[in-house]
Parts: sequence; structure tokens; C-alpha cells
Amino acid sequence: MPKGDHLGDLEELMLLSVLRLGEDAHGGGVRDELGARAQRTVSISTVYVTLMRLEEKGYVRSWKGEPTGGRGGKAKRHYSVTPEGRAALEAVRTVRADMWAGIPDATDA
Amino acid sequence: MPDTATEMRPPRLAERWIETRLPAELAEAVSGDLHVEYVERRARSGRMRADLWYWTQALMLRGGSLRRASRRLAVVQPTHERSGPGRAARDHSFLLEIPMSVHDVKYALRRLLRTPGFTLVAVLSLALGIGANTAMFSIVNAVLLREIPVTNPEELVEVYTSEDNGFAYSVSSHPDYLDIRERATAFENVIGSRTTIARVDLDGQPRVAFGELLSWDYFQALGIEMELGRSFVEEEDRTAGTHPVTILGYRMWTQDFGADPRILGESIELNGRPYTVIGVAPAEYTGSFPVLVSSFFVPLMMTNEIMGSAQLERRRTRGMFLKARLGDGVSVDRANAELATIGMALAEEYPETNENRALVAVPSGDVSLHPAVDGALAPVAGLLLGVVGLVLLIACANLASFLMARAEDRRKEIAVRLALGAGRQRLIGQLLVETTMIALLGGVAGVVLAQWTVGLMMALQPPMPIPVDIEISLDRTVLAFTAGVSLFAGFLFGLAPALQATNPDLAPTLKSEGTAGAGRRRWNLRNGLVVTQVAFSFVLLIGAGLFVRSLQKAQRIDPGFDVSAGALVWPMPELSGYETPDEVRAFYAAYEERLLADPAVTGVALADRLPLGSGIQTADYILPGVPSDLPNGEHEIDNATINDGYFEAMGIDLLAGRTFSDADMGGPPVIVVSEAFVTRYFPGEDVVGRLIQDGAGEDLQIVGVAENTKVRTLGEDPRPYVYHLQGQMTFFGMQVVVKGRGTSEELAVAARTSLDDVAPNMVLFEEIKTMNEHLALLLFPPRMAALLLTVFGGLALVLAGVGIYGVVSYAVAKRTRELGIRMSLGASARDVVGMAIGGGMRLVAIGGVVGVALAAAVTWSISSYLFGISPTDVATFVAIPLLLTTVALVAAWVPARRASGVDPVSALRSE
Repeated sequence: MPKGDHLGDLEELMLLSVLRLGEDAHGGGVRDELGARAQRTVSISTVYVTLMRLEEKGYVRSWKGEPTGGRGGKAKRHYSVTPEGRAALEAVRTVRADMWAGIPDATDA
Repeated sequence: MPDTATEMRPPRLAERWIETRLPAELAEAVSGDLHVEYVERRARSGRMRADLWYWTQALMLRGGSLRRASRRLAVVQPTHERSGPGRAARDHSFLLEIPMSVHDVKYALRRLLRTPGFTLVAVLSLALGIGANTAMFSIVNAVLLREIPVTNPEELVEVYTSEDNGFAYSVSSHPDYLDIRERATAFENVIGSRTTIARVDLDGQPRVAFGELLSWDYFQALGIEMELGRSFVEEEDRTAGTHPVTILGYRMWTQDFGADPRILGESIELNGRPYTVIGVAPAEYTGSFPVLVSSFFVPLMMTNEIMGSAQLERRRTRGMFLKARLGDGVSVDRANAELATIGMALAEEYPETNENRALVAVPSGDVSLHPAVDGALAPVAGLLLGVVGLVLLIACANLASFLMARAEDRRKEIAVRLALGAGRQRLIGQLLVETTMIALLGGVAGVVLAQWTVGLMMALQPPMPIPVDIEISLDRTVLAFTAGVSLFAGFLFGLAPALQATNPDLAPTLKSEGTAGAGRRRWNLRNGLVVTQVAFSFVLLIGAGLFVRSLQKAQRIDPGFDVSAGALVWPMPELSGYETPDEVRAFYAAYEERLLADPAVTGVALADRLPLGSGIQTADYILPGVPSDLPNGEHEIDNATINDGYFEAMGIDLLAGRTFSDADMGGPPVIVVSEAFVTRYFPGEDVVGRLIQDGAGEDLQIVGVAENTKVRTLGEDPRPYVYHLQGQMTFFGMQVVVKGRGTSEELAVAARTSLDDVAPNMVLFEEIKTMNEHLALLLFPPRMAALLLTVFGGLALVLAGVGIYGVVSYAVAKRTRELGIRMSLGASARDVVGMAIGGGMRLVAIGGVVGVALAAAVTWSISSYLFGISPTDVATFVAIPLLLTTVALVAAWVPARRASGVDPVSALRSE
């Protein structure tokens, strides 16, 4: 499967979460963000499987952080969105905007 | 490793699980994230729920998907800093890397549902094994293992005062406690508790409740936070009788007050006096003794009010259990050295009460109930757990044997899959998922069974001397134990069949039917399992047989007193508004008179302690001219205080001298002794008229000798016994035995009617009971032992029978061809059936020999619990093998019969 193929719904939300979180983007943060903003409850396994898939596609990159307190002395894995990831997100937005164009607001109808 | 939140650490085992499922770095990131949420959840909803959540997360982890994703990523980015995919596999052991996925679980479920009969039998037999283990363990846990939720328990010690007869671990008096508290420097604090009972009036319904008197700083020193309200303050424990405040036990608060927080500031009546409720103890702390649940706690300074007599100031009255927290860096040895000095100083200052008494500290971690009792309990606990462990092992052996038969049938399918390139680990994983699911289902059913069993056992009324609740719950420790046992069982009976079924040596299986080389070895393993089952069943059944025989003997013993119809009443006048000894005496006199006025009543016995009752009551006596083993030169002898009608009503004959009479009242103290007293201390002498002294040195004249009765247990040798006359001693809590015409039940009604006439508001220590119930209590331990072992032994027998059936029936099926050849060569149906049975019985014989040898080797450990028979009782060792052989013959015969129906022609054609 060539890189940068299709961007799934969850992948899209997750990329956005990483983008929003900026410096503090890591698995747990992404999971919280998805729960809080998108009302999506996902398991920790799903979060990491998806992040790794995004990394495989080249949309995010990751690096190991320093061990911190409050996590039982365990290091975080930090994530940030790559320019390719950003481009893919923009592409989705453009498609969506095109599709929405000309559809009246539900509240106005 | 260092961590600010060490105390909030998730369950280690679950963390380990994550680490074994995932590559190191991924595991770190995942468990770190979970850790953060764990800490939040724990602060919000408590440890139990947070742990449960963490475990769920850990167990639901999709290890397979995560590892695959990580591996694919590594292929894309080979130079990535991420740890390589293959490393994890090499890091961990072969078994932990066995892949298991949701898919495997679904597949296993489908397979299990396809053979519902097998699944049901497997789950049920495991449930029995696991249930028995869980029930036993929860009892052992409640009595011996339960940890009280205190801070730094390793700093705590128990402080005991020795008896002057040398017994080291006894209770202390309040004045001694205050002196130790004041003088000792080795301790941060010294706290004291005293158990008590009190009448509690709720909505006009008085009942007896169990509670504790505590030093004001008791909870603070242990680090126990109140569920509600506050604990005591120093002011409330400074002056005697001035602060009637109480902290309710959690259970009383929830059961009697519906967990209503508005109870704070309200008052409850204890012994007729209102006590203001200032707090509620937390659910985790039920009192200073495991298994006993305290309903209320009050300050020590209320001792006299609760106890109904001046006990607080008396150095002679010892009833307190002391605990102390060691100061910084103080060793137990140093504390003991200091306590020894204080003990000697007290003995010098108060020789009257403290001579020959020493103080000693024992680390609390080394004490479960009491140093003197623990030693006796641990082997009992070990024995019980051993028995149920055997049952589980038999169940596992059975299942393993079944699964091997099943695996045998799937062998070709598996061989084909292996040949087509399926991973062996993957196949083992699938098979293990199946057995693990059976084990977990068995575990869940086992917990249900255990809860039911424990409830049933509690309903059997264990012989507790005090009316208390017993806290036996399936707590975290127990559930963890069960989960562990289930998983262990799953691996135990699942691994061998799985390993064997996936044996990569494919050729023989693909080539031919399963009778060749590899098949032979498998066959032997199954046979080994049957031999093991039979052997273990033997051990259990022989144990059961011994206990049943012992019980039969015990029931035939003559206790030495009249056990025909009778009713027992245990009034508590001191809790019912009778304050002075004169009032108490007047009550008993009136009650006795009223009872005797009833034409159905022929005799009334009063005693402060009944033979074969709960509890042991002794006193020290000075026997002039009789050497003693005790340091104080006295003799510790069982005694009772009785009324003058006691001997007649109880049917105890006088052998010499006379019994008590009215003339003795107010005269010099006189006693009656038992025959064993004479044979032990004054053999061959006429003791009537002889003087002995009590511990205080006062003369007691022997006026009569009574025949022996059993005193503490049915199995004991005749025991010296001293009877005092009621009225010559101050007394409390006399029990009343009502004898007469009619049944025990009718006499119980008569006892109640008379009591209502004389003292309608009398609080009873326990409900009026019959003589039969009194005796039943005594036979409780042997009856329980016989019952449990018979149930478990029967269970083992059934399981072993099923095992033998399985082996023989499988052998017949596999040997169809061979049997067909034999029959075509002229063997008769009888010969063939005989051969099939013979195969099974050979295993039984081997198992029997091993089992009998094993039983003979282990039954010595129960010899002290057996009465009247030796641990190698011949009758048992003959009867049990006969029983087992019979069962085995039937179990083998049923499937063997099928062998005679083999049609030689079709048998030869098959395969």
C-alpha cells in the first residue's frame, strides 16, 4: 500500500489531536483529547496501533521522552505531525469543504 | 524506579503482564499512560475499583495487533530508534510469547459450545475444586492472614504480661498499662484495648453486642482514619466515667442505622446509659481481633460503667491487650530489655499483684490471633488447604486426561495444520486459550460456590463463646488467590495436552493410526494421570474414613453427666439492671424457686461454667505436700461454682463425703473435688476433710468427692476438677440447666415462661437452648472435619471414577482393531471384556499401592485430631481400598462391555 493513501476517520481525529496537543502529544494525552473533544472512547491499544500506523504512513514521527514522575517513572512516547501529515489533513479538509459547499445550514432550513 | 506516587502503584502483576505482552519501549509508554489514569481513578473511586480497571486494561490489551503494528513500522523504518520487533520475542520466555488474540477467544468459545456436555462437566468439576479452595482460603485468610490497615505495621509490637504460673502471653491490667505507657522510652506510643460485651437498646429491643474499650489514641497510633466523624481525644480518656462517647463499628452503622451520617451527635444506649456517637470506624477495620467484628468502641475510662464493676483501678484485674509502636530505630530486643526492667520494678513495687510477672513484646507481624493459639492454628490451616488442594489436583488430572483424549482426536487436523506451516506456538496458544477459558469459567463458578459454602458454614454456628459476627469475605486477597489458582489450573491441565498434540514429530501421525511409537508415550502419560488421581483419592478417602470413625467413637463416649432432655438458660443479670451481688443472687434464687414450682421441672443446676461448654476456666490452688511444675508452686486446676442442687440435677454421683448444703452458706469455704483430682494429687488417700488453699492462701475444706465428668473435650483423660459453692464466692453469669420430664423443647418453653414471670426484661447471653444443642456444639469440630473430608473424599472418588471410565473407554475405542483380531482368532467376549477391565484395574492397583503408602505417611499429621483410633486404623485401611476398588470396577466395566460388541470384520476393515 503506497504511503499517504486514504486517511481513516479515527486517523484523522487522532492526527488533529496530536496537532492540538503540540508539545504534550503522547498516547495518553491523545486518548484524553479524543474522549473530551470528539466523545470517542478508544482503548489504549487502539491509540497506539493507530499512531504506529500513522507513523508507518509517515504522517507522524515519534521519539522517546524522559522518564517522569506520576507515571511510575516511565518515559512517554512523544508524537508530532509531519509536514506530510499536515498535508493529508488539509486535503481532507478541502474535500469536506467542497462537499459541504452549497448545503444550507440545518438550523436555517 | 523512584517515583513520587509509590503508594499509588498499580498492581505489579498487571504491569508485568503488560511488559511481557509488548516490546519494552511500547510497554513503557502504555503502562505509563495507564499509570496516570490509574492514579486519578484511585483517588476518585478507591483502590479496589482502580485495580480492577487497571487489570481490565492490561488483560484487554491487544498484544498481537500492537506487536504487528510495531513490527511493520520497524520494517518501514529499520533504523528507527524503536526497539526491534524480534527482540521482545527473544527477551521473554517461550510461553509468554504465545500469541493470543480476540480471534482465538472466539474460536475457543465456538469449540467449547460445540461440545456443551464436555464443557459443562469440565467447568463444574473445576468449579468444585476451585470453590473448595476459595472457601477454605477465605477462612484461613480471615483468621490468619488478614492485614489490618495500619500505617507501618512493621513498627508495631504486642505487649503481654506473663501469668505468675509462667504462661508468657497474657493480658495486662489498666494500672500496669498506665505505668508502662509512662515509663517506657522505647515506644512512640503504647495503646490498649479490652474486649467487652454490652447491652444495646435499639427501639426497645435489647441485645448483647460485642465491643471494645480503647485508649484514646488507639486509632491515631495505628493510623486508622474514621469513615465518619472523629476518633477519641485525650480529654475523653482522662477521668473515669465522665465521657460517655462512642465510635460505631462500620457494620453496626450500616446494619442498624442504614449508614445514616446523621447518627453523629445522636446517642445510643449501652448498658442503659446513653453514649454520644462521635464517629464511625472504616469498613476495613472491624476491631483488634481478626474474625470478631466490634459493634462499638468506647474510651477505656468508661470501663467500670461498661463492665458493671470497679475494674479500672485494680491492678489485679487483667483484661487488656496492649500494642506499642517502636520509636525511631528502636529494635524489638531493646524494647524487650526495657520492658523486662519495668516488669521487675512493678513486681517490686506491687508484690501483691505483680510478683513473678514479666512483660514481653512480640512483633505484631508474627502474631495472627495470639502467640499461644497461632501455633495450633497454622497446622490446621495447612491441613485444610492441603485437602482442598488435593481435590483440585485430582480435578486437574481428570481434565488433563480428558483433554488429551480430545487432542488425540484432533491430532490429525493439527498435524495437517503444522505440516501446512502453522506456527506451533500459535496452535499451543489456541489450545491454551481454550483451557484457560474453561479454567476462568470454573473460577467464576467456583467463587459463587465458595460464597455459598462459606455462608453455609457460618450458618452451622461455629462454637464461639461470644455472640459475634464473623467477618469472612471474599476480599481482594481471596479473589486474587482464586484467579491465581484458576490460571494455574488452566495451565496445569492444559499445557501437557497442548504441547503433546502439537508435537512437531509429524510423520507417524500422518502416516498411520495412533498406535505407533509416539502414541505409546502419550498413552503412558494419561495412565500416569489416572494413577495420580487414584492415589490422591485414596489419601482423601482414608482421611475421611478416619474422621468418620473417630466421630462415631466420640459420640459413644459417656460425658459423665446426664445428657437426657434439658434446657440451658444463660441470663445476664449484670446487664439487666441488677447491680449488686445481692440483687443478682436474689434473682437466681427467685428463678430457681419459680422453676421448681413447675411440676414438669425436677431439678435445676446453676453453674458459672458447664462441663463441655465453651471456654476454659481454671484457678491456681495450693496443695500442701504436692510438688508443682509451676514457678509459683501452685497447681492450675479447672473449676466451677455451682448451686447445691447441681450434682443431683446433672446426674453426677458422689463417691465419698457429702455434697453442699444450706448449712455451708456463710460458713467456712468448702469444696467438692472430682475423682481425678484425688487420683492425680492424693492417690489412695481419703481426702474428705483435708484442707487445701486457693491462690490467695485461704483455706478450702474438701467435703466430698464426685465422679469424673468430661470437662473441656470428650476425648480428654479424666481431669481434676474443683467445685465451689455458689454464695461462698462472688459470682456473675451463672448458667441455668433445667431438667425434668418431657422433651428438651418443652423444658425450654418452661424455662422461658418462668423467666418471664421472674424477670421479663432479662437479657440473655444467647437464646435458650436444649441440651442436645449444647452437646452438638462440642462435636462441631470433629463433625465438621468428618463432613468436609467425606464431601471432598466423595468428590475425589467420583472424579477418579470418571477418570477410570474415560481411560478404559478410550482404550477400548483405540484398540478396536486389535480386539477385532483377537476375537477373529477365537477370543471370547468375556476374554476381551476381561482384558479391557484388566488394563484399567492395573492402573487402579498401582494408584492404590501408592495412595495407601502416601496415606500411611501423612495420617500421622492428623493423629492429634483423632479420637479413640490410631492414624493407621486397620478397619479404615481395609474398607477404603475395597470401596475404591468397587467403584473402579464399575467405572471400568461399563465401557469395557462395549468391547464385547466389537464386530471382528468391521473392526479389521476400519482405517
